[in-house]
Amino acid sequence: MHEMGIAQNILDIALNAANQEGATKISRINLVAGELRGLVPMQLTFCFSIVAKDSIASGAYLHVEEVPVSGHCNDCSADFTVEEYNYLCPKCGSTRIQITGGTELRIKDIEIE
Amino acid sequence: MKINVMQDVLQANDRIAEENKRLFSENRNLVLNLMSSPGAGKTSLLEKTAEILAGKLRLGVVVGDIETTRDADRISKFNVPAIQLTTGTACHLDANMVASALPHLQLDKIDVLVVENVGNLVCPAEFVVGEDYKIMILSVTEGDEKPLKYPLMFKESALMLINKIDLLEYTNFNLEEAKANARKINPSIEIIEISCTKGTGLDAWINWLTAHHKKKMDVLPHA
Repeated sequence: MHEMGIAQNILDIALNAANQEGATKISRINLVAGELRGLVPMQLTFCFSIVAKDSIASGAYLHVEEVPVSGHCNDCSADFTVEEYNYLCPKCGSTRIQITGGTELRIKDIEIE
Repeated sequence: MKINVMQDVLQANDRIAEENKRLFSENRNLVLNLMSSPGAGKTSLLEKTAEILAGKLRLGVVVGDIETTRDADRISKFNVPAIQLTTGTACHLDANMVASALPHLQLDKIDVLVVENVGNLVCPAEFVVGEDYKIMILSVTEGDEKPLKYPLMFKESALMLINKIDLLEYTNFNLEEAKANARKINPSIEIIEISCTKGTGLDAWINWLTAHHKKKMDVLPHA
């Protein structure tokens, strides 16, 4: 249940940003979550609805944009999407790849009233 | 009205982890975040390690469990300072929990600090606590397909110890398959086969430990 802790962090950051704008309500939070984070969006939105209950984010829609794992090959310079945890360059078969996406977990923006 | 936020959700954790890391370097500690499923052999490994390292490198342990102080009690028997964190419901240790244990340890009297995470193959890999390396144990009774099912932990770990290899003949665990699966997720992962009960492979583990301790001490400025 690491979703609960993450939901709490999302709420804290969103409330902080909303307070700075003098908002009275948060209606939507747009979250970007890399596939490697292993988050279950349904669990996360459920946890969020619980932690946000008595705040100005109560009832806010938490939108989770999932980002696939992407890589860059250090040998042939190909950029690609990593499918099914296959950490090989699909073009040249090299294992010398670096992960360029899929580990992010950040709040992009929020909608306030 | 839409407002841009662009903030890392785990930044609060990462900040505390950096603070822990600074403290560890100041005290010249190699810090390992030890992760595995429940029952894979984390505490058994630490008992064996304490026994072998006695008089060579000074070990310290922070151990997380949902309830009880059993693990810290087991490790303390080897004259190793062990702090038990009971997480209540949390399925992993985070940087803040680890930070709360540090005032109870004499860090300057420790060479290798092992953070024994809560037994769980998923969540602990998400949170940095200030470690130099994440290491993990996969035991043969769990199955050789686990790297494919729980990729993040295998991806994040520098070393995978395959424990309970003395039980290989009683299971359908395919050692080569397990290694190939782990390397598919993380081509640079190091792998050592061990049996904590029989003592197999522990010399290779201790070599890894002492080499990585030396490596960190070599790059730290001398006190």
